Amino acid sequence: MAEISFPLPDLGEGLIEATVLEWLVSPGDQVERNQPLVEVETTKSAVELPSPQAGKVVRTYGGPGDTINVGEPLIVFEVPDNTAGIVGTVPQDEAPKRRVRLSAVLDED
Amino acid sequence: MSNSILEGESAGFRQAQSPAQAQSPASTTAVMSMQQALNLALDEVLAENPRTLVFGEDCGRLGGVFRITDGLQAKHGEQRVFDTPLAESGILGMSVGLAMAGFHPIPEVQFDGFAYPAINQIVCQIARMNYRSRGTLPMPITLRVPSFGGIRAPEHHGESLEALFAHVPGLKVVSPSNPHEAYHLLKYAATRPDPVIFLEPKSRYWQKGEVDAARHDADGGSPTGAKVMRAGRHVTLVAWGAMVARCLQVAGLAAEDGIDVEVLDLRWLKPIDAEALAASVRKTRRAVVVHEAPLTSGLGAEVAQLITQACFDTLKAPVERVTGFDVPYPSGDLEDEYIPNIDRILFGIQRVLEYKRG
Repeated sequence: MAEISFPLPDLGEGLIEATVLEWLVSPGDQVERNQPLVEVETTKSAVELPSPQAGKVVRTYGGPGDTINVGEPLIVFEVPDNTAGIVGTVPQDEAPKRRVRLSAVLDED
Repeated sequence: MSNSILEGESAGFRQAQSPAQAQSPASTTAVMSMQQALNLALDEVLAENPRTLVFGEDCGRLGGVFRITDGLQAKHGEQRVFDTPLAESGILGMSVGLAMAGFHPIPEVQFDGFAYPAINQIVCQIARMNYRSRGTLPMPITLRVPSFGGIRAPEHHGESLEALFAHVPGLKVVSPSNPHEAYHLLKYAATRPDPVIFLEPKSRYWQKGEVDAARHDADGGSPTGAKVMRAGRHVTLVAWGAMVARCLQVAGLAAEDGIDVEVLDLRWLKPIDAEALAASVRKTRRAVVVHEAPLTSGLGAEVAQLITQACFDTLKAPVERVTGFDVPYPSGDLEDEYIPNIDRILFGIQRVLEYKRG
């Protein structure tokens, strides 16, 4: 398994920090891509940050009221070694499904 | 291989053969994913040939977005396995200079769609430098390209480039269909004096299979030829890359209906093994070629012509093509509608089975 750290992203408008309002996930949780991770407040607004990837949460940084600077660690995920860093989704081999049946009279000339 | 004037191989290129290649090791069969097979091949090539360099975006420290170069920088050093700027024209342009200086570059473009910015370097320099220099500047470059669709990735991450590159004199094009082929074809390509475009079917990266490192083709077939993956009597399915596995599934289903399907893995898309095509279709007398790339001017047309040329008298039906559509590669949600699926391939088989001469 590999660990991937995700820093507080640049939330735009020249903001350099954000305050944690509430964590929506806890260490040990399995999260999906785009699942809301945490609600943070900037000087502009309160926003929910979506998860950049699927994985198991290893640890989170900062509790409610704590301030985190842009670029500092926010959350660490654990992901299987062979999927770390991938763009897209690992396809699963499924049992073949069919609707079409073949019919033919095979002359052996 | 043909076109000798284009190729360093037949123009007197000399390359030190490593002892490891000369002697075949004892039984070395292991089950691994295509990722691991490619990683193993690169590891061995780096160890065997000190002039080999592996580089590309995220190839060094990260080990590649698909983990193909995982651990290679730590093992072989930052001088030989390294990250490049996000500039494909630079990655391939640098490969030209390195090859001229005697190195054996194995660059990676991270995704098929990122090869387009390097077309000038690939087509105008790499493909013709040996020809231009009358054989004095061969380009022993193996360009690895994670290719084709099937992983629900965004735009530019699911292209099929084989017909583009196969059209360029001076390039060789190959695509492995399973871990065993990936290991051997990459090792073979990386020791060639000619540029090889190595199209890795990214949807098959995680599938595991048996790799026999000691022996490529059990039946003694040529590493530059096509390979019969399943023998059959009634119809030949011709495919490469990820479509080979799908065609093998189709062959299993067709057998339930009493139809005996032969599956031919073309492997090399330039040059194409026309003899193997002819041998298969002379036997089955029917052929369906399957590829992910769009239909029009796809490699299926070339395959159909080669079959028709060799087997016109014995063909029972025109060669069918089951392919992607003439549209830009769609977003992930529509992928299953685009890539030839089992039913579309079965329909293709049905069409050649029921064809009646007018």
